[in-house]
Amino acid sequence: MSTTTVAEPHAGHEEHHDLGFVRTYLFSTDHKMIARQFLFVSLFFLLVGGILAGMVRWQLGFPGQPMPFGNLLPDTMAPGGIILPEFYNSLVTMHATFMVFFALMPMLAGVFGNLLIPLQIGADDMAFPKLNMLSFWITPVAGAIMLASFFVEGGAAGAGWTSYAPLSTSGEWTGVYMGQILWLVSLIIVGFSSITGAVNYVSTVINMRAPGMTWFRIPLATWSLFITAWLLLLAVPILTGGLILLLFDQTIGTAFFRTAGSGEPLLWQHIFWFFGHPEVYILILPAMGMVSEVIACRSRKPIFGYHAMVLALAAIAFLGWIVWGHHMFQSGMNPMLGMTFMATTMVIAVPSAIKTFNWLGTLWKGDIHFDTPLLHGVSFVSLFIIGGLSGIFMAVAPVDIYFHDTYFIVAHLHYVLVGGSLFGLFCGITFWYPKMFGRMMHEGLGKIHWVLSFIFYNLTFFPMHNLGVQGMMRRIYDPNQYEFLQALQPMNTFISINMFIFASVQAIFVFNFLWSLKKGKEAGNNPWKSNTLEWTVPSPPPHGNFPQMPIVYRGPYEYSHPDAEEDYWPQDMPPVSDTGGQSVGAPTPETVPPESVLGD
Amino acid sequence: MSHAAIATMDRSPMPGMKVYNNKLGMWVFLLSEVMFFTSLIGSYVILRFAHPEHWTDPGVVLNVPLTALNTFFLICSSVTMVKAFAAIEAGNQKALQMWLLATIIIGASFVGIQVVEYIALGGEGFLPALDAYHAVGRGNPHGGPALGGPLYGATFYAMTGFHGAHVSLGVIALIFVYIKSLRGGYTKENHQGVEVIGLYWHFVDLVWIILFTIVYLI
Amino acid sequence: MSEHEAPRYVLIWVVLLAMTLAEVGFAFMPLPKFWLATGLIVMAFYKAYLVAMYYMHLKWEPKRLWVMAAVPLPLAVIMVLAIITEF
Repeated sequence: MSTTTVAEPHAGHEEHHDLGFVRTYLFSTDHKMIARQFLFVSLFFLLVGGILAGMVRWQLGFPGQPMPFGNLLPDTMAPGGIILPEFYNSLVTMHATFMVFFALMPMLAGVFGNLLIPLQIGADDMAFPKLNMLSFWITPVAGAIMLASFFVEGGAAGAGWTSYAPLSTSGEWTGVYMGQILWLVSLIIVGFSSITGAVNYVSTVINMRAPGMTWFRIPLATWSLFITAWLLLLAVPILTGGLILLLFDQTIGTAFFRTAGSGEPLLWQHIFWFFGHPEVYILILPAMGMVSEVIACRSRKPIFGYHAMVLALAAIAFLGWIVWGHHMFQSGMNPMLGMTFMATTMVIAVPSAIKTFNWLGTLWKGDIHFDTPLLHGVSFVSLFIIGGLSGIFMAVAPVDIYFHDTYFIVAHLHYVLVGGSLFGLFCGITFWYPKMFGRMMHEGLGKIHWVLSFIFYNLTFFPMHNLGVQGMMRRIYDPNQYEFLQALQPMNTFISINMFIFASVQAIFVFNFLWSLKKGKEAGNNPWKSNTLEWTVPSPPPHGNFPQMPIVYRGPYEYSHPDAEEDYWPQDMPPVSDTGGQSVGAPTPETVPPESVLGD
Repeated sequence: MSHAAIATMDRSPMPGMKVYNNKLGMWVFLLSEVMFFTSLIGSYVILRFAHPEHWTDPGVVLNVPLTALNTFFLICSSVTMVKAFAAIEAGNQKALQMWLLATIIIGASFVGIQVVEYIALGGEGFLPALDAYHAVGRGNPHGGPALGGPLYGATFYAMTGFHGAHVSLGVIALIFVYIKSLRGGYTKENHQGVEVIGLYWHFVDLVWIILFTIVYLI
Repeated sequence: MSEHEAPRYVLIWVVLLAMTLAEVGFAFMPLPKFWLATGLIVMAFYKAYLVAMYYMHLKWEPKRLWVMAAVPLPLAVIMVLAIITEF
């Protein structure tokens, strides 16, 4: 075979690239710039999703009252500032859609996958930089289509982010025609961003690791992103297929899911959730990986049970494929199938629990530095525990039959997605901001943002457990139409007020982010004294990342190692110095000379 | 080991998958394509189990002989593709170009025959839309009650249509590869593009082998 | 390796063609539907296996590559079989 059979090294980028504004900032193939692009786009869509949530909470907290600035909305949405029921359906649908597909996924996978993977494995860029650029640009294009759907006749999609058939197959009941079609088109397109990104991430991690970077020396952040990439690769195309069939039902008159002509609405649910369950692990695994890095680094301790953490990530990913029916216990599905899903769902709690205990074990007796990233990381753990516990309740089918489609589910999902993923993102952003932008975020503002967010987040979402237990259903425009729910109005108003405060508090984060870009303390290479490879290069790293490909001698969690001079031991620091300087002890099996580090 | 020695040693990445990046990338991409076709084909299998009355015996509505011939063509195009690859492995530019061109022509013919088939089927009332479906079967000019049901049409066009779209994109990509080959862009030492497009092309053939069987013969 | 590949390719081609004809013939035999379907699916997957192994070169690639390539298959099977139990 004349083609090379090993992953080819990439020449260092010694020559100065002067590409001009467009090629540097708009159409860049540099993974770090692409990460920044993803960051700005996804923060924008996080704002969009937040505004939509604010409107939902206005209606629930102050039903039938004109919304502040509501008069700016057209009469088809909110005449006199009072939200219409049809518009409310679009609000709940689009809030979730924007948050999941255009905020969380791009932030977790797009930002941190791009930023961290090449740097943490010692590569100079992704395997396919041009494909990476395409992968980014698909997202704002699809997002623009999704935004545009608000302004077509009939308004934006209103069948829930899960778009169940037969409600979604026809505008007859929602009043939405073009909006639903645009929703489908937008998601079909944005799927390609995930798939192409996943191709890049998987290929890069497999083939472009620096010498000595064996599989079990890869940092957990990269491990989690690698496994997430596999989930994206295999789950998103399933959704794409289903979306296409639903699009056919809406446009060319097929009846895959429409009940007329023997379509099967239940098939839609199965296809959607076969994607949908791996999707929720896509939304949490990167956050878990990042939190692992931060907790280990800021406790100055190795992660407790590194191998178990990796295996737990893999176990979650495997098991995540066989639990999807737990979203469908109430659908009328085959009860035997339902019982199988109940069993598998209970099993999947185990690897998550292992990870939780290991985070606690890492913190235990650590030399903990209580800075903003660590605070967010610990919040992630506690809030994820709450979300996970409510998940266990619902894993049990008889319990879920009561809780399904109530606010108990809304509480659960917001604990794992906001308490989990969003706080995990705050953890990641505050920790890696210095690497991305060369400056530290303001620590005082960071702590204020954290404590206020934590308090008002919990005040917003914890009471929803109670609302659900008392029978308040989700996606409902006017709970007061039911006498048994009228007593819950004060609680709904309480939640709404706290949500508005929680949302307002995010302005502190935005201010801190923007202010620190120019005024933050200069970061240097390694402000957190971390071991992983991204901290061995300048902040931000130059094009090409490393002057030459690093050699890795040890795992990423050698904090407070007895043989090391300092309380951290970077992965690329050679084991013995010939200048007699920082001697770090005799070579151990882990730190053999470079020729034999090419294990696997 | 001394720092000086470390600094000057040759560094290359971990062996990884032990295939070059572009090949690995194409394989990874093809796995996502497997899942995409699983979604469409899986839906077909499930809907057929749920409503078997929508389908007829093989050959009643669909043109098995023509499609068997088309299947033969697509398999031939896989052979021409692999011959093209073998040619550039041996450094034979002319043979590479010839076999690539053959693959393109056969691939385009496959799509062409499918289009012809679609038109004929449409004329016989075999359509995807619920209200339009009224398949009267092959060689039946006089009409009559509909054979099978609309799910037959809907699943047929969804699966074969997306397969055909993939073939078409493959033909377009092959044309780019062919043009590059005319300019001597591939050598015995470096012809990754030929191998990578070949993988895609064989995959498209593989999917068809399965589709032909479960759509036309079962 | 290239020396004995060329005849291999042609041989595989002949096998694929023969099996295609066999499938078409088999499909019209007067057997119960279940056996027809099973036989045809086995034949089709065997043809797919040949294309993957020989034309897509998996037979000569590192073993880890075809382990990776096999990953979607159990997922596809699980999805279809689980949902079929609904109907």
